Amino acid sequence: MTDSQSRHQSRSFQSQGFWADAWARFRRKPLAMAALVFVTLLAAVALLAPAIAGTKPVLCRYKGRIYAPCLGYFDRRLEPTIFAKDRFRGTYPRNLKEKDADSWAIWPLVFQDPHRAVRENEWPGRPANPAKDEGRPNGINLFGTDQYGVDVFAKMVHGTTIALLVGVVSMGLAGTIGIIVGALGGYFGGWVDMLTSRVTEIVMCVPTLVLILAVIAIVEKPTIWKTMAIIGATGWTGIARLTRGEFLRLRQSEFVTAARATGAGPVRIMLRHILPNALAPVLVPITFGIASAILTESSLSFLGFGPPPPAASWGSLLNDARSNLSMWWLVVFPGVAIFLTVLAYNLIGEGLQEVTDPRLREARK
Amino acid sequence: MPLLEINNLVTAFHTPAGRVPAVDGVSLSIERGKTLGLVGESGCGKSVTAMSILRLVAAPGVIEAGEILLRDATGAAVNLVTLAEPRLREVRGGRIGMIFQEPMTSLNPVFTIGDQIAEAVLLHRDVSRAEARGRALEMLELVRIADPKRRLDEYPHQLSGGMRQRVVIAMALACEPDLIIADEPTTALDVTIQAQILDLLADLRQRLGTAILLITHDLGVVAETCDDVAVMYAGRIVEQAPAATIFARPRHPYTIGLLAARPERGGHAGRKAGERATGRLRTIPGMVPAPQNFPAGCRFHPRCAFARLPECAGAMPELREVATGHFVRCPYADALGEPRRLDEPREQIA
Repeated sequence: MTDSQSRHQSRSFQSQGFWADAWARFRRKPLAMAALVFVTLLAAVALLAPAIAGTKPVLCRYKGRIYAPCLGYFDRRLEPTIFAKDRFRGTYPRNLKEKDADSWAIWPLVFQDPHRAVRENEWPGRPANPAKDEGRPNGINLFGTDQYGVDVFAKMVHGTTIALLVGVVSMGLAGTIGIIVGALGGYFGGWVDMLTSRVTEIVMCVPTLVLILAVIAIVEKPTIWKTMAIIGATGWTGIARLTRGEFLRLRQSEFVTAARATGAGPVRIMLRHILPNALAPVLVPITFGIASAILTESSLSFLGFGPPPPAASWGSLLNDARSNLSMWWLVVFPGVAIFLTVLAYNLIGEGLQEVTDPRLREARK
Repeated sequence: MPLLEINNLVTAFHTPAGRVPAVDGVSLSIERGKTLGLVGESGCGKSVTAMSILRLVAAPGVIEAGEILLRDATGAAVNLVTLAEPRLREVRGGRIGMIFQEPMTSLNPVFTIGDQIAEAVLLHRDVSRAEARGRALEMLELVRIADPKRRLDEYPHQLSGGMRQRVVIAMALACEPDLIIADEPTTALDVTIQAQILDLLADLRQRLGTAILLITHDLGVVAETCDDVAVMYAGRIVEQAPAATIFARPRHPYTIGLLAARPERGGHAGRKAGERATGRLRTIPGMVPAPQNFPAGCRFHPRCAFARLPECAGAMPELREVATGHFVRCPYADALGEPRRLDEPREQIA
């Protein structure tokens, strides 16, 4: 036996928990892994958006001090006030040099703004962004520009945050509600189960999209956060049903009786003994839920009920395209981005299901 | 004074088909440091009795009557039937430990052995995580698991059945309880492992002075480990005596039948050495009645080789003391005391 073989064998005998084992299996699934890498990349893009596309320096030295004006993309209040005082009016490259000859700056990879069209000579020697249907994709505007001349690539990079947040926040909320409701019903049974099951069924009947449209019509300031809250507050029913089933099954298991016999209370048994065993099957619908939440948000934005400007989600780009169908780049790039992201989450969900469900594990070998 | 005293325990299941009294007026007592064997066929109510002690009977089971008194060193007693839930949790795992039948499923698959034993300690002792882990290691050494340091970080699925049962025993003993309830602790194990686990239990009892309630259907196990034996049939105790007495002079027809049904090494009394075994095992005719249709009178009479009708189908016989410490629920117990009657068929008595 060669050295590498024996090393491999000893590794497979190593102590492995359920999740370590699941991860080892997951890693061997090329599609699911590719999807995971894609989502990780998206998260990186969302986090680094101001450094990827923007017109504000990532870091700059101005009048003897170092600033990071790009943080203004996350929140306007984070943009150092000195630049407003010195009347930069949002254009940094010219002003920096004019007002402080000693200044230097590190610029984003792509000098394009997600909120406004770049003007002529804003970046020395570069023409203004073309407006209307002139702005085909080219070297300067990678994904073209919209009808107002705003760069589509910059818009999409900055819209990634919304796409990811919608999925994670709304399903985080839905997961929390679903697991709590399902756990209570499944563990205590009786009238508690009766109550939680009926509530679940009632919520299941509420059409999410229509509810969101109704709420947007009523509330004063519709924000993306309210949309996420509604998607989360209506999307937990499937998770609750699954959790309930798992808790019903596991509550009968001998190790739960054994835990009770060692003196563990109901909360401890639910959280420490049952939940970790129920988590794997519950994670799967949560992952699929993220995909459908992203789709829901895109549909809303497409209908024109997206985040208020200047923030733009991928769906609202599609909405822009609706009235300018000749500008194919407004359809293709955001459409592909939505498609790939939803596909990635579905692939991850499927991969999770395959590696955590022993029955599927055998069947798909 | 006995450590644990069960008086007239009634545990019934309220099913859609009606009330099913699985345990119907059981009284038992266990002295400090002693081992009591609770014996009976499947479905006789012995496990429900055990689960009732810690109030672990799952719905729709309800403890309807009786008291379960647990005494501490000073003799002060608490009634586990009426004890408030938070106080009961202190008893569970703290003063009474429990060992289950199926070591494959009584450990949580997602936690390491060390975590599970440490948790049992943390629930009852005011110690740090590190101290609890140290205690877990100590316990693994106590139950003689090889290479305990490494096992501490392993998961249940990596252990053999015998080792898991040792872990379960370690968990039950982690807080030095006064009493261990062992519900068929060896039934799911290989015969060789069974012997090891029984040895371990006997050894631990001697070293730690823990009393044991051993529930089993295996009379061989009882013979090896128990001080006293209670035989259960159809939700009731039918005979109770010191272990030696039960094996030497069983008085209840059911106990006699159980003992006769054992495969014996060397054959039945009277068979000469070297003679071939007579072939078939003796059985008790008929089936254990289901709790919803227990027969009237003595519940064993339809299967009893010595039954006298109609007396035996009349009133339920009382449990009475036929010799010091020997209780039998049969009016003809005195006549049945002779060992030679074991093989005699019904006609000769009736």
